[in-house]
Formats: sequence, structure tokens, C-alpha cells
Amino acid sequence: MAIVEFKDVSRVYHNGEHEQRALDHVNLTLEEGKFIVVLGPSGAGKSTLLNLLGGLDSPTSGTIRVAGRDISTLTPNELADYRAATVGFVFQSYNLIPTLTVIENVALVKEIAPNPLSSHDMLKAVGLFDHIHHFPSELSGGEQQRVSIARALAKNPHILLCDEPTGALDSETGVMVLKLLLSMARDLGKTIIIVTHNQSIARMADTVVHVRSGRVVSCEDQAHPLTVEEVEW
Amino acid sequence: MLLKKMFRTLLRYKAQFISMVIMIALGVGVFLGFNMEWYSLEKNIGFIFDQTGFADYRIYSEKGFSQEDLQAVLAIDGVRDATRFLTVNAAVKDDTDVIALAVSENMKVSGVYLMEGEPYDPDSRDGLWLSDQYARQNGVRLGDKMTLTYKTLTVTGTVKGLVKAGEFLICVPDETQVMPDYHSYGFAYLSPAMLENIIPAIFRNFVGNSLYYQINVRTDADKASFVQAVDRALGKTLLVLSKEETLSYAEAMGEVEEGKTMGSVLPVLFLAIAILTMVTTMHRITASEKTQIGTLKALGFRDRRILRHYTAYALIIGLIGTALGVGLGYLLGWYIMNPDGAMGTYLDMPTWNLYVPAFGWAVLALINAFLVLIGFLSTRNMLSGTAADALRPYSPRRMRHLALEETRAFKALNFGTKWNLRDCFRHKARSLMTLFGIVGCMVLLVGGLGMMDTMNAFVKAFYDDAIHYENRVNLDAESIRKEEAQALEDACRGDWSATASVQLGDKAVGLEVYHVENDKVRFLDEDMRFVSLADEGAYICGRIARSQGLQPGDMLSFSPYGSDDTYTVRVAGVLRSMTESIVMSDRAADAIGYPYSVSAVYTDETNLPENRNILNVQTKKAIIDSFDSFMALMNVMILLLVLAAVVLGIVVLYNLGVMSYTERYREMATLKVVGFKDRKIGTLLISQNLWLTVLGILVGLPAGVGVLQYLLTALAAEYELKLVIGPATYLISILLSFGVSLAVGLMVARKNRHIDMVAALKTAE
Repeated sequence: MAIVEFKDVSRVYHNGEHEQRALDHVNLTLEEGKFIVVLGPSGAGKSTLLNLLGGLDSPTSGTIRVAGRDISTLTPNELADYRAATVGFVFQSYNLIPTLTVIENVALVKEIAPNPLSSHDMLKAVGLFDHIHHFPSELSGGEQQRVSIARALAKNPHILLCDEPTGALDSETGVMVLKLLLSMARDLGKTIIIVTHNQSIARMADTVVHVRSGRVVSCEDQAHPLTVEEVEW
Repeated sequence: MLLKKMFRTLLRYKAQFISMVIMIALGVGVFLGFNMEWYSLEKNIGFIFDQTGFADYRIYSEKGFSQEDLQAVLAIDGVRDATRFLTVNAAVKDDTDVIALAVSENMKVSGVYLMEGEPYDPDSRDGLWLSDQYARQNGVRLGDKMTLTYKTLTVTGTVKGLVKAGEFLICVPDETQVMPDYHSYGFAYLSPAMLENIIPAIFRNFVGNSLYYQINVRTDADKASFVQAVDRALGKTLLVLSKEETLSYAEAMGEVEEGKTMGSVLPVLFLAIAILTMVTTMHRITASEKTQIGTLKALGFRDRRILRHYTAYALIIGLIGTALGVGLGYLLGWYIMNPDGAMGTYLDMPTWNLYVPAFGWAVLALINAFLVLIGFLSTRNMLSGTAADALRPYSPRRMRHLALEETRAFKALNFGTKWNLRDCFRHKARSLMTLFGIVGCMVLLVGGLGMMDTMNAFVKAFYDDAIHYENRVNLDAESIRKEEAQALEDACRGDWSATASVQLGDKAVGLEVYHVENDKVRFLDEDMRFVSLADEGAYICGRIARSQGLQPGDMLSFSPYGSDDTYTVRVAGVLRSMTESIVMSDRAADAIGYPYSVSAVYTDETNLPENRNILNVQTKKAIIDSFDSFMALMNVMILLLVLAAVVLGIVVLYNLGVMSYTERYREMATLKVVGFKDRKIGTLLISQNLWLTVLGILVGLPAGVGVLQYLLTALAAEYELKLVIGPATYLISILLSFGVSLAVGLMVARKNRHIDMVAALKTAE
């Protein structure tokens, strides 16, 4: 079943007289419960695509439907509700609140998510139960990224959006994080969308979307995605 | 190129730069304005005293002084100049106005300052040199004729000059009238030649050997040695009053001292808030420029050049703020001290120039040096280490666990409260500055408004309640007999008093004897409760109690002026009093044999019997009105202070609010991405402000009361004020502080609608 549908979506930025077309008439359909990788070089428009999908930004034209709901015309408050209930975000730079402990960073979402999951369970799932009372600054990069995944999952979202989630990590830690994300799709049935320029990650994906110059060049399903261990890093 | 960068950076941080400039301008302006007030007063008062030869000492004799006496005084070592002097209160014919007529034989001492008309002529036989203020208020012009009466004498003269005089700097008939009323009371000088002309020789012989009952002297000698020298020179003990014991000098200098006290407390606090906030802001701006500082270093710029560049920001802000502050200071100084304001009515000075005390300039230089130093140290801090170190963005200190976190109460807090609490601890300097800003705002509000309450309570107690009569009838104490006074008192169902000056130690103080049987005059004890005068013993005011170390039960001795007699009496109690005085009941005075003559009757009657001893009548309203205009002086200063406190509060809180917003921008963007709504994030931001406000109010209220108590203690030599703060003051101060905090919080919170989630979260931590 399609969980994401982009119909003729464009996003144009105006910088003085200069016009930058970050997304140009994009049409795209993505299936629920898949591990999807969006690939493309820098400036291709993949982050814009992710931001539109995450409700951080709105399209200039076209419609975006997520889980059957048109999100392209939502008000700022409706978008906030959408972000709280439907999507979880994982960033390259973690974006944890430095003044909250690990458990508090995860439990934070209980304030806004309609059906949150147990923070303790999520931290157990990412293997950080022993560190719940640490501050982010007391953790390694990989650990911080796992907290950010736990926080995203604690909202119990339909889709997990990951923007270069391993970009700031060494390869060993990166592999660990990817394994975790993959298990979320396989074991919990979550739709995981990863934006990256790392070709290797694409080999694990159920679906690979190629983006270039603001356009979707291809969207291909892979019949036999590799496991994390099978990929050469 | 760096200059171009500097201007663009100033533009980029315009909110912070503008608020820093405003803070410095306000701090400097208020500090300078309030200190200019007393300093300029001192200088302008000094000018008129100097120009008119204000006397250092006044020697009194009821029998008058001869030319030989004057020569003997002039021969005293250290005496620069002296004059025989006379002043009497004369009535303006066919009017109720009173003019103090003065004659000085040598106008270099106790003379006049010509404002308009002919210079003073010692040989003029019909010239009057009239107070220009009285002339203006009563439409008297140069060349007009005036007829004045004193007892049975009539004087008619032509107004030849309009003048001011140091001796009449505060032109009031007596100490009960605090504010001059030129409409009904003024002064005029006439020449000795005219005096000789109008007073028949026969009358002169009847009065005594000379009309001049005063010799005014200019000398630098101290009082004790001067009094001894006078006693030796004139061969008798006479009453000698120093300039400090005259109303004009004492009150004018009291005004200067009051200004000094005010100028040394609240404006200094103001300046301190401004500087501390400026320090925090400067450091934060440098911190946020760290990457750029690193880039310049990496490009090959020498540390010294970068230091110079960033230190210049502090210098520019300091200089602009100081320049605006000096302008504001002059404006404030002028507003408080100008001839058309309340001060202009109080002090009759020819010049109203504004002067900045030397330390004022020194403070300004120091402030700027300090700001530059802060800019320098902050930049040096960012430059430390290698170019690669400098390139790394500034990161606040790592979070540490607080002892507080182990408590059950902390664990039960919601995430927002924890977030805010930890943020306060993480950014201690910012939080403390916010707290300091609110405490300062509260201190200024409670101190300023509390001072108003205290003064109002003082006025109410002294004037509305203690003055229980409608009219004060001033009598000619020299001629009235006690029986006549008693008859007059009986006729108008009033009370009477006798006032005289006495020597207490080395000081001249007032001695007031009261006969109270109709409750027209009341007395307040130190707790502001009314007390009845006992039949034995004397009451002293708080100032005498403190300066002489006296308390109830002690014995005190005084001598009437010009007399060798000494009277000793037990201190019955301490009263709050407007003047420095001793108070006794007539029975107590009779008991020690102290002679007095009645000088006033207090009554509600308006239809007074015809009586040749009545000099004039002062209404309660006139006395209260006079004090009201005096109060206007203080109210102006207080209102300016309160207004400035609110503006400073807004600027400080807004500046720190913006700083907090900038520093938490990324965290707020994260919350927004997670799904928090703008309103919820705004509430989080405002609640931190509000906590600090509550804490600031809790600290600021007692601090404000403490500062006010300190001010009252410092002013105790001039006023015997009891600290009174009404509930309205507490309420207004709390509401204003809260209002300012909430308004600023809302202004800052509105910004979070514009958080760019994408850009914020892309940047490196």
C-alpha cells in the first residue's frame, strides 16, 4: 500500500532576483513498511524532498499525500500535529537537547505524540538502557545518534525520516546504526526513508530513489536487498 | 575591508548593539543627570553667594551696633570684610504682602546681584532694589513707586533695580514656610542714606543707639575662635550665627546633600546594571563571532589585528552610548534644575548653568576603558590556541548533573521545567544578569515609589494632621505682653506659641514654647503617634537627640541668644520635627524660669479681633501649598527614576531574552521538528523569564526597602522621615516588573514562529 505520494511537486526558493528550483515537478510513490534510500549528489534536492515529507517545509506547487492525508496545504499548527504523530526525524547532527538527559530527551515526545511508546523500551531497543541518565555530551557520536533514533521511534510514527544518519559517524558505528534502522523496518514494520549520497547504503534498500537536479530520475525496487553484513563498507 | 565587515556585523547584531547603546546611554544619562543636579546647584549657589558677598557669620545685638563696633570686628584677625546690616519685615501698603526690607552699609557683604535697572546706589534717598521674582509675580516695574509700612513708619520709594540676593536665596518669612511664595513675600534693599532719612532721630534714640542690630562678617575663621575673638573685640558675649545656621545656606546645601545622596545610590545601581548587561552581551557577541575570528586567524591575520578589530566594537558602542548618555544627562539635569521648574521657585539664583563634576568624566572614561577591556578579553579568549581551535564554534560548558536532580521533586518535574532549570544553570551569567536586571528594576521602583509614600505620609502627619488649625496668626513678639496674647488666644479659641533661638552646645537651635488647650497644635513622637506635652521637661527632635547623644531622662542645658543665663531641663521625650528644635509646654518653661514672648496664635477663627500686635496671618492651606510645591521637586526626580527603571528593565530583559533565544535557537528548532507547536515553545521560553522575575521580585522587594532605608538614614540630617511603603507601591512595583517581563517575554516568544527548522538543524553543533 502506498504511504507516500508526490504529485507534480515543485519547491522553488527565491533569493533576491535569483530563483532556485530545488524540486522540479516531482512525482513519486513509496510503499509502506519498506526500507527506502534516496540517493543523489549534493544539491540534487534530496534533503528538500525529505523536508517536505517531514512537514518542515511546504511545496510551492503540487500535492503530497502521506498515509492518505494531503499535507501540502496544512497550517503551521496542523503541520506540528503531523510531525508529532506521523513522522520521526533522525538528523546527521543528532540534534538532541543538551540540557536534557538521554531518557528525558526520549520522554520529551510524550508531551506531544498521541500514541507514544515507552521511552525505556525504545532505549533498550537501541541498546542504551545503561546510559539513560547521561547527558548527550557524555555520549559518543554513535550513541547520540541512537538516542535520536529512540526519540524518533518513541513517537510511534508511521515513517522514520533519516537525513544522512551515518554522515557524522565512523564506519563501524555507522553500520551499527544502519542495522538498527533496518531492524525497525523488518521487525516493527516501520517505513524508513534514508537520504544519503552513500551508494553502499542503497544496496540494503527495498527501494532506491535517484534524485538529480531537483528531479526524480528513477525509483526502483530491489528484489534482493543485501543485509548489513553483506554490504562492503 | 575589515571596516566594511565591522559595519556589516554591527548591522547583523543590530538588536543587541542598539540595546547595548541604549543601556549605556540610560546608565550614563541617569548617573550624570542626577550628579549634575547637585553639582550644578553647588556651583550656581556658590556663584550667587560669592557675587553678593554672602556672610560667613552674623553677630546679633538687640541694642544695635555702632561704627566703633564695626571697626572692632573689622580689626579681628582673619576678617576679610564686614558690614552693619538690618532686615525687618514690612507690609506693602493696602495689601497683605510682606517685604523683607534690608540695608547693608557695605554692599560687598550681604549685597545684591543686579538683574535689571540701575546699579545699587548707597547715596540714593528714594531707591528700592526689589526682588526681581517678587516684581515679576506682582507686576511691579522699574520706576514704579512702592509704599511699605513697618509699625508706625511708612517708607515710599522708587524701584530702581531688580535684584537677587544671597541672603534671600530661599526667600521665606520663616521656617514653617518651606517654599517661597513671591506672590506674597519678597525682599528689597534700600540705602543707608534712605534709612537715615526716613527714621526720625528721636525714634532712633528711643529704639537705642543704632538701628543696625546685626554685623555680617566674611572670614574663614572657625566658629569657636571667631566667637571668642568677637567677645574680646566687643567686650561682651553676643549671639553669633554661622552661615550653616542660616536658613538659606542650610536649606540650599541640604538640597545639594540630598542630591548627592540620591546621586550616589540609585543612579549608581542603574549604571551597574547597564555595565554588567553590556559585559554579558559583549561576551556573547564575540562568542557567536568565534568562527569568523578563527577564519581571520586561519587566513593569516595576526592576533593583534583581530583583537584591534573586535575591541573596536566595544569602543564604538561605548562611545556612542556615552555620547547619547551625556546628552540625556544634560537633558535630565536641565529638567530637574531649571529656573522655570520647581527648583527655580525654591532657589532664587541668577545663573542656572549645568556642570558635570570632574569624577563624572572620570567615570565615563573608566566605563569606556572597561568596555574595551571586556571586548579585548573576550576576543583574546576566542583567539586562544591554534587557528584550528579558533575555527571551532564556541560551545557553552558541558552539562553537569546538579545535586538538585537527585531529589524526588526534581524527578517529578515535567520536561519543560527541567529544560528551563538546566538552561538557567548552564547559562549562569545570562540568568544572573536577568535576575540582576529585575532586582535592579524592583529596587528602583520600590525605592522611588516608597520615597514618595514616605514623603506623603510625612506631609500628611506633619501638615494635615499635626496642623489642627486653619490660621497661624503671627504676632509682634517684641511688643506683645503675655496677657494680651492670652486674651487674643481666648478670644479666638486657639493655642499659642513662643519661638526663639537658643544656643545648645555650639549650635543654634529653635526653642518653641507651646500653650495648648484647644488641640490646635499636635506633636508627633518617633513612632508618628500624637503626644501631649508634659508639664515638666523638654522634648527634643531626633536630630538633636542624635547629634548631642541625648535620650529621655538626660539633662540638657541651653542659653538664650545674647544672654549669659543657662537653663537646664530634663529631656521628656523625642519628637519628629520639621526643624531642629526643642519643644516645651509653657508650664515646663515657667517651671525653669525661662522667659519667652508669644509670637504666634493658632486658631480656626477667620474673623480676628483688631489687634495692633498682629503682624500677619498664614493659612494652613498656604503652608501646605508651599510644601506641595516643594514635594513636586522630589516627585519629578522620582518619576524620572521610575520611568528610567522601566525602560532599563525592558532593554535589559529584551536584550537577554534575544540572547537566550539565539542560544536556544537550535533546541527550539529541534522541538519544532519533533512536533511542538509555536505556542508551547513560546510558553517554555516565557516561563523561564517569569521564574526569574518571581525570584527577582522576591529579592528586589526587601532590597528596595533596604536601599530606601539607607537613603532615609543618609537624609536624616535634613528630614526626620519614617519609612512608609504603601500596599499600592508593592503592587505597582510587582505588576510593573511582571508586566515588563511578560511583555518582553511575549515579544521574544513571537520570534519562534520564524524559526527556520531546516537551516537551524543543518548547522554544526
